[in-house]
Amino acid sequence: MLWKKTWRELRENKAAYLACITVIAIGLMFFVSMSVIFEGLSSAKNKFYSDYRFADGFAVVRGLSETQMARLASVEGVDRLEGRMVKDVRVFAPEREENIYLRLVSIRPEQVTRLNDVMLLDGAMPAGGSHGILVDPAFLEANNLQPGDTIHVIIAGNQVELSVAGAAFSPEFVYALRNPMDIYPDPLTFGVAYLPLETMQILFGEETLNDIVFTLSAGYTYEDVEGRLKPRLETFGLESIYARKDQFSEVMLAQELQGVQSMVASVPLLFLIVAATILYILFKRMVEQQRGQIGILKALGYSSREILLHYLSYALIIGALGGLLGSLLGFWLSFPLMTVYEEFFNLPGLTGRFSFGYLVISLLFSTGFAGLAGYFGSKEVLKLQPSEAMRPPAPPVAKKTLLEGWHCYWDNLTVQGKMATRNAFRNPGRSFFTLIGVMFAFSLIATTGYFLSITDLLILDQFTKVQTHDVKVVFAAPLDSRDARLELSRLPGVNRFEAYLEVPAIIKQGWYEKDTIVLGLEPNSEMYNLLTKRGVKVPLPPEGLVLSQKLAGNLHAGVGSRLEIESPYAKENPVYAEVVDIVPQHLGTNAYMEINALGRLLGQGHISTAALLAVEEGAYPYLKDRYREAKGVFSVEEKGAMLNKFNELLESYSFTYWILALFGMFTGFAVIYNSGVVSLSERRRELASLRVMGMTPAEVLQVLSFEQWFVSLFGMLAGVPMTMLFLQVMASAMDNDLFSFPVVFELQPFIIGAVGTTVSIWLTQKVIFRKIRRLSMVEALKERD
Amino acid sequence: MSNVILKGKKVSKWYKMGEVRVDALKKVTFEIYQGEFIVVLGPSGSGKSTLLNIIGGMDQVSEGELFYQGSPLHGAEESVVTRYRRNAVGFIFQFYNLMPNLTAFENVQLATEIATDPLPAADILAEVGLADRAGHFPAQLSGGEQQRVAVARAVAKNPELLLCDEPTGALDLKTGIQILKLLRDFNIKYKKTVMVITHNASIADMADRVFSLKDGELASVRVIDNPKSPEEVSW
Repeated sequence: MLWKKTWRELRENKAAYLACITVIAIGLMFFVSMSVIFEGLSSAKNKFYSDYRFADGFAVVRGLSETQMARLASVEGVDRLEGRMVKDVRVFAPEREENIYLRLVSIRPEQVTRLNDVMLLDGAMPAGGSHGILVDPAFLEANNLQPGDTIHVIIAGNQVELSVAGAAFSPEFVYALRNPMDIYPDPLTFGVAYLPLETMQILFGEETLNDIVFTLSAGYTYEDVEGRLKPRLETFGLESIYARKDQFSEVMLAQELQGVQSMVASVPLLFLIVAATILYILFKRMVEQQRGQIGILKALGYSSREILLHYLSYALIIGALGGLLGSLLGFWLSFPLMTVYEEFFNLPGLTGRFSFGYLVISLLFSTGFAGLAGYFGSKEVLKLQPSEAMRPPAPPVAKKTLLEGWHCYWDNLTVQGKMATRNAFRNPGRSFFTLIGVMFAFSLIATTGYFLSITDLLILDQFTKVQTHDVKVVFAAPLDSRDARLELSRLPGVNRFEAYLEVPAIIKQGWYEKDTIVLGLEPNSEMYNLLTKRGVKVPLPPEGLVLSQKLAGNLHAGVGSRLEIESPYAKENPVYAEVVDIVPQHLGTNAYMEINALGRLLGQGHISTAALLAVEEGAYPYLKDRYREAKGVFSVEEKGAMLNKFNELLESYSFTYWILALFGMFTGFAVIYNSGVVSLSERRRELASLRVMGMTPAEVLQVLSFEQWFVSLFGMLAGVPMTMLFLQVMASAMDNDLFSFPVVFELQPFIIGAVGTTVSIWLTQKVIFRKIRRLSMVEALKERD
Repeated sequence: MSNVILKGKKVSKWYKMGEVRVDALKKVTFEIYQGEFIVVLGPSGSGKSTLLNIIGGMDQVSEGELFYQGSPLHGAEESVVTRYRRNAVGFIFQFYNLMPNLTAFENVQLATEIATDPLPAADILAEVGLADRAGHFPAQLSGGEQQRVAVARAVAKNPELLLCDEPTGALDLKTGIQILKLLRDFNIKYKKTVMVITHNASIADMADRVFSLKDGELASVRVIDNPKSPEEVSW
């Protein structure tokens, strides 16, 4: 029979409970969809890696022959070793504004299996010697190409026609970035193409191979093999040798997986904690309100345990419903979300799915949280003596509130205002509930608002304050800065020239090491600025390394630390440099050095790998044209185009944030609505009496609304530190090598939070107003307290 | 009339209100027999309700002893007292105290579900004349009807002791008499003890014995040899 009581009560207060169910459901929707994605990504990755023999180790060398390669295969610990040619080329597309690149990777069509093998999706394997290529499907799709179409590329200054023989994936380019400085893959301007080794050797006029991939024999670690291979490879001009875990696509994939995993751990927890807190307070108040009924049940002979179980059943039902709804939504959401991942990752077999296991886990989570909240909220019933329970609680002692001493405030209040103020103080439990509700609502909205504004800010900062050049000319191979300056600064439309050096390096301090890029900048660079948190320019010291905060953290290095640097650009490895400054940086993790000091450190003199230019409007097309087929210039990039590209990608991201913000808003509304409706039901008698006295519904509403605004103001204030806390938790969960979210005080999200909260309160009061108008005075007054 | 089912020895009850101690019952000694109809009289604040709460296992004594069929209830564990309430006692209150979101029938079921030897809920509801109102919620019933549901709920557990706190207090004369008649019928038909608390002295005429309370003390116990029938009572 108590079950009937439960069901009917749930139905009567459906709005309040629905709100709780929704908050739980939102949390678990995230949990389930992200978990499904995590599992889908990792299992697709593992299957792809093993089916297509993803290598355990990689090395880049200047060049070695087939016979030398064959000898390396017999090194102890190497299971299989293959040599390849890997070259980046520019696509000839004069009609296109931006530069388009293809990474050509050689394959041996005559072999049955290969390391980093290609998975043919469409078309056929090109025959040895033909100009047929297999291209990654994202590039084909983005550029409207199909098997049979041709692509013109520039090889050693000549135009070469290649024909698309088919579409193929490889585990090596699951996340296809041209260089680690890019953040998102952009299939429109970068793709991977596979072509027969024979063809490639003819096209480039080279016999030698420049890229090595290998797998390990059972029982050997990568470090064992690296130790044996390295000295042999050094004679062939070893540029880098690294394990699978440091392979770029794998790094990105692993990072994404880690990010998803931390989302799984943090976001749902946030929502569950909010829901549990609301439930806890809701139950505390319900038990208080139903004192009389508890008394009767006890008088009838129900034991405290049975009554507690009864109240717990509400919580469990709410938890179960929220969990069920959330999981189903989560499974459903996993399908469209997975297609988003499909755009970024070239992985076969990505699809959303239903999982019985996650359904069970999320039900356990939701009922667990709700159950705990319900237990602690209603355990008071255990203490009540039946006779005591049937008496209304002792009325709170009436005394003047603190605020009544503030005459300027108190004397200006209407009677409703005075009632409301006193109510807020005399019923601390109720006020606390509203306060907590508003605080959570505000924080959720502000937190999502923060992410919305900070991403824009990060990108905008990077391109308007950090990188202020107009055009970047990237050289095909490092050049002497002085020659580059002579050539470029005399061109029409070029106002300023700065040499720029990007040095791939492994930086070590003791046990800690990090694969990164050291940027060499001109001493008084105006086109690449290092900034403090507040945006003030940091001068580049003439000697020594400047680290980004993130990198310093990774290396456990501080100002004064002496770091070991290994780089393919260095004449002799390793070299050493001292850290002289640390700067904040949210996009990427780099080290910086004065360009000439860096050149000296590497033993290379005045080298640069690119030039940063400030140009007059309209100069870019001229520059692009001039160097279109130049051997020494790899690309001419316009910053505006990059910024546009980022903005486009951000738009696709901001959709996610808006969804999140919408959920935050909805949760906020649910919480506030809940507290408003519960307040109303608790005070029916009081409010009905006011109506009987002749107050209009609007005047009665004033009592409630004044109290709600009054408490909400403090709730919003409390929401500010709460938001900062949320942000800290989220930021540390989402931190990775490419992005780190700075948690700084920004006004905008708090304005968003305040507006969202205010709208929620206003909407709630609309509903309450309707309820007050419908309040039957006779009924309400007939009830006994 | 020799079968004592409940016995109180020097039962005292006091409440602490901050610094002040309020004595609600002062060393009250009494015996209650099986199958008798007792009316407890007294002005407000005389300790009637406190006595009823203690007899009903709704509250603990501050001092003294209380035995139900020889077993002590004073200082008994919560589970023992709960079992006592569940099986031995039925309560009827002045303001009915029905579960607002359960129907008349379901309110009765609420009691029969937990009792060990209940009477059929539907029969009892018919006995109080509400067979056709079984599916109604309390809010859809008049005060008299609600109190009849409350009686049915208490009686359906088939308790040894039926405790009634001002059962007619909120009702008009005619409806009040209907309720008293139901109580008397239960008392006679099932040979169970009924104890009615009231400040309405006229009801005392239908009792076998009348306890008068004053200032927390049992001032007198009057035995009535020829109790009136409920129809003869008036106020």
